[in-house]
Amino acid sequence: MASADRISADQPGWESALADGLLSAGCDAAVLVPDKRLEPIASRLRSRVAVRTLLQEEECVAHAGGQVLAGGRPAVLMQCSGLGNALNALASFVIPYGLGIPLVISMRGTLGERNPAQVPMGRATATVLGALGIQAFAVDDPGQVQATAAGITDMAGAGVTAAMLLGQELLPSATTGARR
Amino acid sequence: MNIFQALETLLERRPDALYVAALGTVTSALRTVSSDGPHLYFGGAMGSAAPAALGIAERVAPRLVIAAVGDGELLMGARTLWSIAGAKPSNLLVVVMADGKYSMTGGQRIETPLAAAEAASAIPGISGCRVESTESLSEALDELPLPGVIETVLSDGIELLASPFVEPHRVRFAFEAEIERGG
Repeated sequence: MASADRISADQPGWESALADGLLSAGCDAAVLVPDKRLEPIASRLRSRVAVRTLLQEEECVAHAGGQVLAGGRPAVLMQCSGLGNALNALASFVIPYGLGIPLVISMRGTLGERNPAQVPMGRATATVLGALGIQAFAVDDPGQVQATAAGITDMAGAGVTAAMLLGQELLPSATTGARR
Repeated sequence: MNIFQALETLLERRPDALYVAALGTVTSALRTVSSDGPHLYFGGAMGSAAPAALGIAERVAPRLVIAAVGDGELLMGARTLWSIAGAKPSNLLVVVMADGKYSMTGGQRIETPLAAAEAASAIPGISGCRVESTESLSEALDELPLPGVIETVLSDGIELLASPFVEPHRVRFAFEAEIERGG
């Protein structure tokens, strides 16, 4: 049985565990562009900390960077297609200024993807992050999301931006609810 | 009014504000008029100064945060006007230094209308105005509801003095100390 069958987005499961992992390591806010796949995580976070919804991923990264400068510990949640939008803020602001931000990235365009428009960015995500020096930790096992979320949040607390890549196997559906 | 005079007016009238300077001309000019004061100078990430200022403003309220951005910068990240309107921070002011050109990259003319004052005024939750003198800028600082956008029309060119290329960690530490100082 696939993970997507075992864990529904409607049931508080790995998404809550992921949020709890972020929170347990000191995350005190989140910023995102609305996304069906990330909403259960945001919903859990929203019950504990401030969650700001913005209009584009670059804006989210810049906003989070500003929060870090002001003493905050925000996370940024995005779909991998949004990583392309966020690159300049990551490369020219967050990284050179040493602003640690945990990036929670839900993957599209991987094995079984039925929307070809999602495939190139999905294929490139880990490589692009690596080229910027951002470590990316792929997670396909629901049992690993909490520890991974806490881990990248710990790294952010040390001034290192890192990402966790949520495999499509984790998600409720690989073909519905796409934002773009 | 040139950009030095506009920034000097801001610093004189709002000395305890936190300043976020967009890359290029604004960073160079603010470094010059503030003697390299403890402000957040961007060295890149065009379009990101205003959202960063929003993130800061939401953390340091009620302390005033002023994002000083060029007109090219504002247009590249214009969506942030809507984001600011949604967040409604009562301690955030965006001041657009409008000279109608991309000064730092060779002075190419901006081919689109700016209309930052009109755009901000049209969005519920954010206010906007246009000023053309230091006197009217001072008045706008006192009267414009926040969050707001002041489109500052610059008519006099300047010769840049300080470098727009900043050392990020030095900027960060100075700015964090300024936040810590309070205002």
